[in-house]
Amino acid sequence: MNTVNVSRRRLLQATAVTGGGLVVGFAFTGCSSAPAPLPVASTEGAWTPNAFLQVLPDNTIRFYTARSEMGQGVTTGLATLIGEELDVNPLNMDIRLAGAHEDYVNPAFGMQGTGGSSSIRAHYMQLRQVGANIRGLILEAAAQDLGVSALALSTDNGFVLHGDERHPYAAFVETAQSLSIEADAPLKPASQFQYISQETKRVDAIAKATGTAEFGIDVDVPDMHYAVIVRPPVARAKAQSVNAANAKANPGVINIFEVSTGVAVVAETFWQAKQAAAKIEVQWESMPLDSVDTETLRRDYAAALDANDGVEGPVEGDIDEALQSAAKTHEAEYWAPLLSHSPMEPMNAVVRIDGDKADVWTGIQFPSAVPGLVSRVADIPAENVRFHQTYLGGGFGRRGSPSHIIEAAEIAKAIGKPIQLVWTREDDIQQGPFRPASLMRIKAGVDNDGNLIAWDAARAGADISPDTFRSLLPALYSWMGDGMIEGVANLSEWYFEKFATDESSTEGLFEDYDHPNTRVTHMTVDHELPMTFWRAVGHSYTAFAKESMIDEIAEAAGMDEVSFRLQNTQNTPRLNNVIRVAGEHMAKMNPPEGHHLGFAAHHSFYTDVAEIAEVSVENGKIRVHKVTCVLDCGQAVNPDIVRAQIEGGVVYGLTAALYGVLNLERGAIKESNFHDYPMLRMNESPEIEVVIIDSGTKPTGVGEPGLPPIAPAVANAVYKATGQRLRSLPLQLT
Amino acid sequence: MIQFTLNGQAVQTDVDPNTPLLWVVRDHFKLKGSKFGCGAGLCGACTMHVDGAAIKTCVTPIAAVASKSITTIEGLGTPEDLHPLQAAWHEYAVPQCGYCQSGQIMAAAALLDANPNPSSDEIDAAMAGNICRCGCYPRIKRAIQSVSENALAYDAMAQTEGSA
Repeated sequence: MNTVNVSRRRLLQATAVTGGGLVVGFAFTGCSSAPAPLPVASTEGAWTPNAFLQVLPDNTIRFYTARSEMGQGVTTGLATLIGEELDVNPLNMDIRLAGAHEDYVNPAFGMQGTGGSSSIRAHYMQLRQVGANIRGLILEAAAQDLGVSALALSTDNGFVLHGDERHPYAAFVETAQSLSIEADAPLKPASQFQYISQETKRVDAIAKATGTAEFGIDVDVPDMHYAVIVRPPVARAKAQSVNAANAKANPGVINIFEVSTGVAVVAETFWQAKQAAAKIEVQWESMPLDSVDTETLRRDYAAALDANDGVEGPVEGDIDEALQSAAKTHEAEYWAPLLSHSPMEPMNAVVRIDGDKADVWTGIQFPSAVPGLVSRVADIPAENVRFHQTYLGGGFGRRGSPSHIIEAAEIAKAIGKPIQLVWTREDDIQQGPFRPASLMRIKAGVDNDGNLIAWDAARAGADISPDTFRSLLPALYSWMGDGMIEGVANLSEWYFEKFATDESSTEGLFEDYDHPNTRVTHMTVDHELPMTFWRAVGHSYTAFAKESMIDEIAEAAGMDEVSFRLQNTQNTPRLNNVIRVAGEHMAKMNPPEGHHLGFAAHHSFYTDVAEIAEVSVENGKIRVHKVTCVLDCGQAVNPDIVRAQIEGGVVYGLTAALYGVLNLERGAIKESNFHDYPMLRMNESPEIEVVIIDSGTKPTGVGEPGLPPIAPAVANAVYKATGQRLRSLPLQLT
Repeated sequence: MIQFTLNGQAVQTDVDPNTPLLWVVRDHFKLKGSKFGCGAGLCGACTMHVDGAAIKTCVTPIAAVASKSITTIEGLGTPEDLHPLQAAWHEYAVPQCGYCQSGQIMAAAALLDANPNPSSDEIDAAMAGNICRCGCYPRIKRAIQSVSENALAYDAMAQTEGSA
């Protein structure tokens, strides 16, 4: 992923207003000339000072949220940031989801994308500055119009106050447009925050509680037809022969034809398309993956770890000497399986191609990709592709992959009608892209005083980033031909296999504890299954290995889990503090008989989290009663949404810890729907308590960091309950 | 021609009688609040009321609801006129992605209609058919409890204790 470090100067550039448009500070393409028109509503008399705000004549403040709303509350969070300095209550704003435009780039990674728990961290200063600058401009305009000093004016929730008078912001828009803006209007000190750090409601809750929030699947345009795709059971196999005679005779069927990923069925309704699809017989080509079962993955990963010929890094100290001189050593192997994201809204997209123009409606994490991808398929200029963002019915990384948009564009082009493509739940679970399986081995050593002195960790499995890179390349480099894209994608895979570790593969396996002698080794073993980021990415499996091992080596050292962690996190003070606070909570807990407490802590996405799981085992069944999470995420912009995200991370992680597994059988995923790929339900959901440590620093991630500690916390509790050390996910007692 | 009542209005349709109620409501009557999640009656995103009972409509053929009364999330309340559960969903900031919430609320409304005073276990049992991938379960439960008669009783108790 292209990382762009954003200096304060660049931030200010991004927020400076000239005339009606925003000076683009983060142009992704780098060499574009005039900025493209903003994809915002044209409303009579509205003032659009920048890409994020519109002030309407009736004083409605419209906010365009640049990050994708997939449930993480980012819309509320970003509206809170801009509203704090603009002095407008975020709950009073008219919220819009932004289309694709370079002004909506995520400052954390230089393209218009949402992920990596980055949004609040990345926009914390930028959107506050935008809000402060616009408020400053309105105050200056008001001072001119009212013929008073700006010092005599103040603001209150969208109004300029002058003595007893309340003037709507909209009254000063005309004058404001003629003024030039102060690029660095002062920001409020935290002590004056009205909205940040407050327990405000979510801006999207009423729409989502009344069925009026529009998701991609709810989009309906005139003459829209519906499509499903009959897909190969084994990834990337092409059809050798297709018998669609029976299906074509089905009611409502318009056409059946091959597309790049299978056989498309287009009908008047989704149900008709789905019924017809069931009647199509396809002979698929055989693939190397046909010989791969779940056992094959694990065996091949183990062989790679045995051969130990992967890429090393980081390496510090002398690991071999340290392991030899250690008072105690311990070695173990941990397994995490393939997983599907399975957001509740299956993948879908509406595409309409009309001459040399196209419209795309869907909810996606990488809007940057849409114009480029659709322009290739439709053979039209990328600037003629309009993207309409909707709410995302869950993301979790899955909506960073755009293959369904390419498919929808192919079908729309082929039949010359607007179409909605909908994936079935079976498509969702069986087709990926997936969270890769991982086999991890850790050898740890302690000295006589309980100091962790050696950490030798290895992981084998598929890489995550090259696949995602491959799927986005055609969109990001529109000048590259298909052959060149294939070449560059292959080069990146080869690079990560031979020369460098894909950071996502080993992140979280080694960073948290003080061990002067460290070796991390990565073995890329790729069976050509599609992969992508899954909530917490590498941390989703590395934390399980690392935090299980920490409990194991602590026991070998004769220490309790909290003391051992405290002693060995002197170099990671914020994590150390979180462990200390969580340890104090644990010491006060008094679980009923038969309930056991497991502990785990992990740093991810710049946030530190410790979790305590209260677990019982009855008749071989693991039951998690309560989870207590202590975290330091810096400034909690909306503490209730922080809690919601941690609760969500725990439940998502607990589903994976207790149930999550996809099995391969002759290259195909065996599981198909929620009966055999089960999700945690309300009756299995633990009570969750979230303790936020207010450390007064800038905000860090919350969407993902709640997830990594839960699996090891439960495994560590199960060990106390049963004496069985479970080192494979999902956790199952024998 | 199949006739039924949809959110209080008499309607009719001539679609294939095997078509699931969910798709008739979404694609023919253009009410998009009820969602497709699994197509197999496993996740509850499609939950509506059929004669007051919470039903998984992705596996309910339209023929099976002939002359019955259907209520969807649109018929339960609107942004301007919220059902108490919808108000509680806002109050307790229940929704995250929100995709499953129409189904969750319909299941909860049917529960409270039948049992205004459910225990924690009864809530679990009634809601176990509805999956929330974002993990909103603790908040869903809290919101349901807040509008149940139980909550009123608890509130009254808490106030009495507070003033004592």
